[in-house]
Amino acid sequence: MKEKKTVSPEYMILEAPREKKFMIGNEALAEAVKRANVDVVVVYPITPQSEISHLCGDLWVAGYIKDYYRGEDELHVMASMMGAASAGVRTFTATSGPGTLRAMEPFACWAGYRLPIVCPIMGRGIGTPANIQPDSVEIFYLLETGMIIFHVESPQDFFDMTLQAYAIAEQPDVHIPVIVFCDGFFVTHTREIVETTPDDEFLLPYNSNLSPVPAMDMEAVPVRMARDCLVIKNNFISYNANASWQQEVRAAQHRARKYIDRFMGGPLEVINPDAEVLLMASGSAAAQARVAMEIAQEEGIDVGMVKIKVIRPFPVAEIAKLCEKAKLIMVPEFNFIGWLAKEIKAVVNNNSKVFSGPNVFAGMTMPPEVIVDEIKKLLKLTK
Amino acid sequence: MDAVKIAPGFEKIMPQEYQDLVNDGPYGRNLSVKDLGTFKELIDEHPLCAGCTLTLSLRIVLASLPNPENTLIVTCAGCFGVIHPQISLHCTIAPFGTHNAFASGLKRALKVKFPNKNKDVISMAGDGGFADIGLSPTFHSWVRGERLTSIMIDNECYANTGGQDSGMTPEGVVLNMSPLGKNFPKIEFAELAKLAGCAYVATATPTNPRLLGQMVRRAILVSREVGPTVIRIATVCQTNYKLSPIEGYNKAKSFESQTFEYFTKEAQKYIESIEKKSPKTELNLEVGVENED
Amino acid sequence: MKINIRISGLGGQGLVTAANILGRAAIYDGNYSSVAPFFGAEKRLAPTESYVRISSKKLYEKGEVTYPHIIVIFHPEVITRGKCFTMPFYAGFQPNGWLIINSESLLISEEDIENLTKLNARVVYVPATKIAREIAGTELATNMSLLGGLVGATELVTIDGLEKAIAQRYGGEKFVASATTAVLDDVLRKKYGEVQELVGKNMASVKKAYEFVKQNLEG
Repeated sequence: MKEKKTVSPEYMILEAPREKKFMIGNEALAEAVKRANVDVVVVYPITPQSEISHLCGDLWVAGYIKDYYRGEDELHVMASMMGAASAGVRTFTATSGPGTLRAMEPFACWAGYRLPIVCPIMGRGIGTPANIQPDSVEIFYLLETGMIIFHVESPQDFFDMTLQAYAIAEQPDVHIPVIVFCDGFFVTHTREIVETTPDDEFLLPYNSNLSPVPAMDMEAVPVRMARDCLVIKNNFISYNANASWQQEVRAAQHRARKYIDRFMGGPLEVINPDAEVLLMASGSAAAQARVAMEIAQEEGIDVGMVKIKVIRPFPVAEIAKLCEKAKLIMVPEFNFIGWLAKEIKAVVNNNSKVFSGPNVFAGMTMPPEVIVDEIKKLLKLTK
Repeated sequence: MDAVKIAPGFEKIMPQEYQDLVNDGPYGRNLSVKDLGTFKELIDEHPLCAGCTLTLSLRIVLASLPNPENTLIVTCAGCFGVIHPQISLHCTIAPFGTHNAFASGLKRALKVKFPNKNKDVISMAGDGGFADIGLSPTFHSWVRGERLTSIMIDNECYANTGGQDSGMTPEGVVLNMSPLGKNFPKIEFAELAKLAGCAYVATATPTNPRLLGQMVRRAILVSREVGPTVIRIATVCQTNYKLSPIEGYNKAKSFESQTFEYFTKEAQKYIESIEKKSPKTELNLEVGVENED
Repeated sequence: MKINIRISGLGGQGLVTAANILGRAAIYDGNYSSVAPFFGAEKRLAPTESYVRISSKKLYEKGEVTYPHIIVIFHPEVITRGKCFTMPFYAGFQPNGWLIINSESLLISEEDIENLTKLNARVVYVPATKIAREIAGTELATNMSLLGGLVGATELVTIDGLEKAIAQRYGGEKFVASATTAVLDDVLRKKYGEVQELVGKNMASVKKAYEFVKQNLEG
């Protein structure tokens, strides 16, 4: 085991000097995991996530991760994560598409177990018809699992948001899992400049004494504790215990907001908020929206942009306020459902000015030019 | 045991049961089934049916742990889900069928967290949980060589959900999802365990507590040093098989003919080194050892 | 007319069966009824509840009865040892309600009597287990006696409706019973060779308790 110089998350995320490198998203993620001082990693192959799983294996061999193995399928990998995280160690895993859905039972259980697992998901199409190309449709299925969800725009985000995820997840008053979601190949295999922190500085190790639920390690004996209050009526556990437990998980999500502000500078990135037309997007769609905004400005159309970094807890108040002035709000997405537009419409007063689109999926690219065309069409309509 | 102590200042407010566990519990005392009745057990009440042999088996298992102060249990949905809050050590339920995967992650993480300390991880589930929905992760935990003790309470049905047949139900038995009788034979679970390379595989019934207790002890010790171990407790759900508690007990007793123990050579050597003699069951059964070839 | 009934007792006493029979009797009488499930793993002697709603108009409400007009207590320990899912056992009780208790002796504490008096509750003690043993020869008929007592006090359903419902329940028609209920059904089948006899004994318990209550209320 390498002797590690450990630093606080505040230092690593907000203060440490950065060095420019050129790498793909999966490599950037591996760089984050290397610095995150992770204890246990369990993996299973699925495109386009497999590379990070291989890279974690290399990190393990090199001594940056303490234990690593390949599980037999995503359902059981995620169950192993529950076991490992319950013992009170720092964990990491990743999955994609059909793997996410195969793991839905544990995914719905993780937050209730109060496990600060950080799990990147590399989004792709889900059957039917099957597709390994980028898609953010999975986020829709994960929305109400109680987990915190970040949406990654670029390899740089993948590096930063993973470290931020550990910093936020492990806070004692949060202590629920974080999904760091990227839109598949657009991030995992795109090579870009990524600014990384020094590679000989590592996060302080996880301290299970700060967990709101005692770690499952038989270190404080005797103990009689049910980590999961199964209401089956005849074991005398009241509905109330179960209900308040669920509410506590949701409350933990809300309490994460102050740490999202501290470590991430808030859940949104806002450019030109007073514009007539606002593009609201998350993930790779935000990248396309940025460029569309520039093109539109050059053509004399007043366009602003809101990048939504955090999908859960959804920044309800901020989005509602931002939508007040604009005449037109467009929500481009890399999925068929238009889930982000639904989220935004639900919190905006006059939501007839919120348009879901363009929706691009099945792996197609969303050229910024297409976004600009849509803006022009809609402006003609609303004028 | 020094580690088992009430935090200073809390002595007066801890409930009686906790005090009893501290003052008279099994921690560090190397107790076994023969001492039952003389110490505060890790389980003394249960919310399951009167005469349930699952609870009897669980009680025997808990009384036979070599190091109860460092033992954790992973169980799953079913009647175990109902009883697990009554067990006085760290235990939890994993999503149905995943208990051996959960236990694998747990054991590995505990090894990382406490590299110089032994923590015994036991996974306990019924026949449905191990042989049907949990067959894949169970088998994989065995072939990966995870140091776990898997204890199946085989009552030949899904009991908690109202009496459906499972893979371990014998052929021809009529239960709620086999109205014409189950149409395939009982899964050879123990044979699968041997095939997967388990170091110690045994079958016992709860009607012979000392024998079962000895098997539990051996299984846990072997899993520490040699490889995965498996115990199948052959019994019956008297509620779903519509038997009175006495009839249920007698049926379980009739399964004593299925009792056996299997060791790999390495496991046999290890047990010999601890027990200072060749392992022999109380019934003087022929001890099966892996083939010479 | 809309009446909510909550039945509290211990597992194995036949509360769910009683609820089903009561609900069905109400339908034979020409009313609407719904019987809400008590869903949980079954366990002998654990606190159990069952719920019936009876109305002259169509019923829609789902779930447990939180504000009962009638409470039936099947076992003294519901009160004396708090073996109940609602605490106190009369939580949510509507004013002027009926409280039917299976006991040979008075059970309610001073404090509870005070509270029940404020609600103008009418309390009836029925020695249902005793009647079941004497008339039907088995404690499993306790629920029948209690139904008789309930009807004696409230005339909620007719004796005729009850008889039809009991005949239908035990009459050999396939009844989807839960695992442990099916076990107890088998016990009854072994005890009474003929269905006729079983139905007869049940009705006898019903009537005996009915008369008992009628006599005592008059006094």
